[in-house]
Amino acid sequence: MKIKVVESVLKANDAVARENRKRLDAAGVLAINLMSAPGSGKTLLLEKTIPALAPRRCAVLVGDLQTTRDAERLGSVATQVTQINTGTGCHLTATQVAEGLDGLELEGMDYLFVENVGNMVCPAAFDLGEHRRVALLSVPEGDDKVAKYPTLFQAADAIVLTKVDLLGVLDYERQRVYEDLSRINTRAPLLELSSKTGQGLEGWLTWVQQQRQRLCPSRSPG
Amino acid sequence: MHEMSIAMALVEQLQRIAAEQHATRITEVEVRCGVLRQVVPEALELAFCAASAETPAAGALLRVVEEGLRARCRACGQEFEAAIDNYLCPQCRMADVELLAGRDVVLQSVTCETEDRDRAP
Repeated sequence: MKIKVVESVLKANDAVARENRKRLDAAGVLAINLMSAPGSGKTLLLEKTIPALAPRRCAVLVGDLQTTRDAERLGSVATQVTQINTGTGCHLTATQVAEGLDGLELEGMDYLFVENVGNMVCPAAFDLGEHRRVALLSVPEGDDKVAKYPTLFQAADAIVLTKVDLLGVLDYERQRVYEDLSRINTRAPLLELSSKTGQGLEGWLTWVQQQRQRLCPSRSPG
Repeated sequence: MHEMSIAMALVEQLQRIAAEQHATRITEVEVRCGVLRQVVPEALELAFCAASAETPAAGALLRVVEEGLRARCRACGQEFEAAIDNYLCPQCRMADVELLAGRDVVLQSVTCETEDRDRAP
């Protein structure tokens, strides 16, 4: 007997993601999902971003296969940090984020940063309930990242090029990134910065604050 | 290996369907995968094989059908077939799209044996 079904396989994940978004909306918290390859500078960017957003309060959910090292690094800057160890899982799912939210006090928070597992393929396929998706790429990874992993960048609301202080040291043709993005995503701004030197951080912080103003216009800016 | 997450969700769905239909065994499953989900069919088959063990779907043939990308330009409204590495609107040359197809993983059909009807007398 053949039965026609036509039902999304990931509807369970997507339903949990919608629920997560509702919880965040109710608490007036803007959630940003950061996705990139391992080592592109997600954690350092958050270490610089969170103190700069003060007095706004930030919570972080950080996903890694193993260790609590990123959570320890972020513990000194964020109001609340929860490490999610995925074991062998190469991406966060909406359920893991829901469990992470259970452990956070959302009332009084302004931002939730979700630092996804370092991976340029799998995280792009899973809605976590975030409001904005940010894709990072760093100068040492090479200037062909957008062309090689278009799906991650297509789905991004902003694209951050990190470690630009290394542009003079490495043979990196920035123009290639712009050209590749012109075919893949002309909506997301490309923000160039160095978390180490502070160059370009201002533009990133402005983008982050604008997203929260758009989401929660009734609340005070930033 | 996001294929494992997809396979596990699929098996849960199949177990529910098998219970609803009073099926003893699922023999064939057809899944439509949008290209943006970046599913490698062989990896999904392997994951499905592991996830379906000791369920009614164990041993079922998994057919994976790829679904292409269809997009609508946010700038001018034009609908067009996009490629995974090219979302340029043929009309206005912007790459700012709303995706109409190619992002989902959908269980299309299930073939199963039930206690009453499908058994030879």
